[in-house]
Amino acid sequence: MNLTIRERQPEPAAEPGWKGGANISGLTVSRRPPGMWRNGASKFIRNPYAVAGLVVLVCFIILALLARVIAPYDPAAIDLLGANLPAGAGNHWLGTDELGRDILSRLLVSGQVSLLIGFSVAFASVLIGTMVGAVSGYFGGWIDVCFMRLVDVMNAVPLLFLNILILALFGSKFSYMIIVLALTSWMGVARLVRGTFLQLREMQYVEAARAIGVSNTGIIVRHLLRNSTVPIIVTATLMVGGAILSESALSYLGLGIQAPDTSWGVMLSNAQEFMLIDPLQALYPGLCILLVVLAVNFVGDGIRDALDPRKQTHPSRKGVGIWRRNSSKFEV
Amino acid sequence: MTEYLIRRLVQSAVVMFLITVLTFGLIHSAPGGPTKVFLSPGLSQQAAKVQAEHLGLDRPIPEQYLKWVGGLLRGDLGYTFKNHLPVGDILWPTVGHTMVLMGAAWLLSLLIAIPWGVYNSTKEYGWSDQTASFISYIGFAMPTFWFGILLQELFALKLDWLPLSDMWSLDKEGQIGDLLLHLVLPVSVLTLGFLAGYVKYARTSMLEVLQQDYIRTARAKGIHEVRVVYRHGLRNALIPIITIIGLDLPILVGGATLTENVFNWPGMGRLFVEMALAREYSVLMAITLVTAFMVILGNLIADLLYALVDPRVQLGRKGGSTA
Amino acid sequence: MAEKLLEVRSLTTGFAAGQGLVKAAEGVTISIDRGQTICLVGESGSGKSVTSLSIMRLVEFAGGMISEGSIRLGGEELTTKSQKEMSRIRGNKMAMIFQEPMSALNPVFSVGEQIAESIRLHQRTNAAEARRRAVDMLRLVGIPDPHIRAKQYPHELSGGMCQRVVIAIALACSPDLLIADEPTTALDVTVQAQILDLLRSLQRDLGMSILLITHDMGVAAQMADRIAVMYAGVIVEDGPAQDLFEHPAHPYTMGLLRSVPSMDGEREESLYTIPGTVPSLHQLPQGCRFHPRCQSAMARCAVESPPLEGVGPDHKTACWLYDNSAGSKEVLSK
Repeated sequence: MNLTIRERQPEPAAEPGWKGGANISGLTVSRRPPGMWRNGASKFIRNPYAVAGLVVLVCFIILALLARVIAPYDPAAIDLLGANLPAGAGNHWLGTDELGRDILSRLLVSGQVSLLIGFSVAFASVLIGTMVGAVSGYFGGWIDVCFMRLVDVMNAVPLLFLNILILALFGSKFSYMIIVLALTSWMGVARLVRGTFLQLREMQYVEAARAIGVSNTGIIVRHLLRNSTVPIIVTATLMVGGAILSESALSYLGLGIQAPDTSWGVMLSNAQEFMLIDPLQALYPGLCILLVVLAVNFVGDGIRDALDPRKQTHPSRKGVGIWRRNSSKFEV
Repeated sequence: MTEYLIRRLVQSAVVMFLITVLTFGLIHSAPGGPTKVFLSPGLSQQAAKVQAEHLGLDRPIPEQYLKWVGGLLRGDLGYTFKNHLPVGDILWPTVGHTMVLMGAAWLLSLLIAIPWGVYNSTKEYGWSDQTASFISYIGFAMPTFWFGILLQELFALKLDWLPLSDMWSLDKEGQIGDLLLHLVLPVSVLTLGFLAGYVKYARTSMLEVLQQDYIRTARAKGIHEVRVVYRHGLRNALIPIITIIGLDLPILVGGATLTENVFNWPGMGRLFVEMALAREYSVLMAITLVTAFMVILGNLIADLLYALVDPRVQLGRKGGSTA
Repeated sequence: MAEKLLEVRSLTTGFAAGQGLVKAAEGVTISIDRGQTICLVGESGSGKSVTSLSIMRLVEFAGGMISEGSIRLGGEELTTKSQKEMSRIRGNKMAMIFQEPMSALNPVFSVGEQIAESIRLHQRTNAAEARRRAVDMLRLVGIPDPHIRAKQYPHELSGGMCQRVVIAIALACSPDLLIADEPTTALDVTVQAQILDLLRSLQRDLGMSILLITHDMGVAAQMADRIAVMYAGVIVEDGPAQDLFEHPAHPYTMGLLRSVPSMDGEREESLYTIPGTVPSLHQLPQGCRFHPRCQSAMARCAVESPPLEGVGPDHKTACWLYDNSAGSKEVLSK
């Protein structure tokens, strides 16, 4: 007897295990519903962390843009008579360093450097990563194998070592910093884009596009890239923070920004040498880095939460709690 | 299992080979080539030529590469340019020092992170979960070396409870107690950094496991919730955690580099920076290779650990699912 | 009348969704005698699984909550118990088996361990004894070479084998009540029949009651002493199996039975389907939940929801057709 009411088919047993593994991004490809961006924007605005992050970030950007204008002193002006002044002394709001340079002015100008590096590295590595990932995922075959081996190699060497090695070999120029950091941080985006492409390659509308004679490049750019925009934006945002941290680390180690230029990392490196005399000097630049990176990360997470379609109808535990409290009332 | 192991070993060997090519290629593509990089500046034309011949730099590049790799395979890492010391003699002690520091921090952070993350998965959005999430955000956004400097200022300079830097005090080399004191600050810095990620991983992984059918079966058996989580859930949740930890190894080494520099810890990371500033390329090449080797070895061990935790991993069945 | 084992009275279970709550089962009333089999029949989303999870008090782990009603097992009230107290009852006095046998077993423990765990937990035996009893249980559920199988892991067994192991776990402590939630849906047809046979013979031998959740009228016909039909979170009909098959009262039940292919029907005759679709729990229709799809719907059906009332000996339905003021059964046999 086969007497069956209309019922969903038993789902194929979930693939046992391997839920985590390398596929942590949990990227799901979905056709975007209309109005996703507007919907996302309103969700973003309702997320207090994301909004706070955005406000802080915008403040830092404005300060960086106007750094030269609003800096009270020339950040490189040495004044040995007024060295190591404490905060507030002699019109120096945050004091001066061991060469008598105004710390506030140096912080402002350093912010310029750090933010510039952060954004340009993120931009450049998204560009590289997207290209590598797209080509690799779209064409597959030996191209894919080559690129993926390259990613393996890059992942096996601590990137900081690679950065140091390259900077030591080629010299520490500002432009080199950006190139080097971009060349060593594109792998995440590449993997992501490649994953999206592998999924999309099988889909029917790609077939359709090919059938009506759209060229390879056309397919990649128009149809496929559009579908991985959201995860790329999120990764790029988070990458800004990563690049700022890397820059500060390299500068701290003496391989990044070189005197007379300055950055938050350079300032920290200085501060450590003189921490016996003026321990507070180390506080400010570190705090700036922390704030900016935190802000960028909040914005990134906010974008992800706002645009991730999977997050929409998930009932929260909090919701259950509220409901429980309410329902216990009528129970009595 | 053996088949899978062999495949992984071959893959690792390929990656190792590519890394030697990459490192060697980098050095030889530096502006002015290796002669500029390797030879002491200010030599006369004649002397430079002699030194280049002595170092084998006048040979064709493939030959130089083969000679170098051949040396590596025999365990010969080369010599420093300045004093012509064997690289191995400088490098190996620092490897041990780094392992002590990293091992301690890594173990500590796992011991804290896994139970904590698991606990948080059972009390989502509770105060403990919020705290962990706060620490994660701070940990990811904070320059580790800055945190190290702050700890130094507070605990070493201001309070004078702990030593400021180095591995031993001058007169106490070799004493365990002294070593432990010196470990406290750098280990704290590193642990915070590792913790930030691990708590999150453990929580996410456990949350996923807790939604599985077999957890419901366990509850239906009448198993107490604590046992459901820690016996039935944890072992399954560990499987993806092991992967991530394996993939994270290079980041750990990188983090250790900064911490070593802050605390003047005589490890590989500090040596690397020192040698980079002194342009001792043979040492840099050696360190890059040794760390890459360690990372690959770590990933292999992580793979083997699967088999211990997950009975499904057998006869290379797993190979197909990790693209 | 036989002794009542389980009595569920006006059970309402809901889930929080956004700001409001969605009642996945509302006012469910069923009772099971000792040794009896009751089938809870309905389409997916009708609330039958939620009802079974509520009886086990497992629904709380899925984010749901019992907001009203009472559940009594052997006279003991379950809704007021703590989860700790429940864990002494679950797996001991009542047990449950699930739809997907492959994923219902923990992949990292051998099947023997998983059975023995239940025995050790509820019966205070030592490890060796529990292991021996686990092997006995495997033999009981018809697994060949139980000594070898006990040491194997779930991925080494077939789906049917896994379901036997799940049954062995559930029956390890000889529960009074076994709740089986679609135990054969994920299995091949031949294996389905074997598992149902096994459940029946075990019931005979162990004298337990079974609450069988299914969407398959065929399974219900084979197994049930009594059938309760659920639609959109409420019970619409409840009666002895024989009577319900012969004299279905609710239009929905009739539709279900008509949509079953019969052996002697004409080949060309297309299968009957109930028009429309199951309403979403978020937007249930006013009045009787079935009225938008009902061919006998009256004006009243869209306004008031009908109570579950008797239409025969021990046979109840929730339909205005049987309300005294609204006419008799004649209306229906048009």
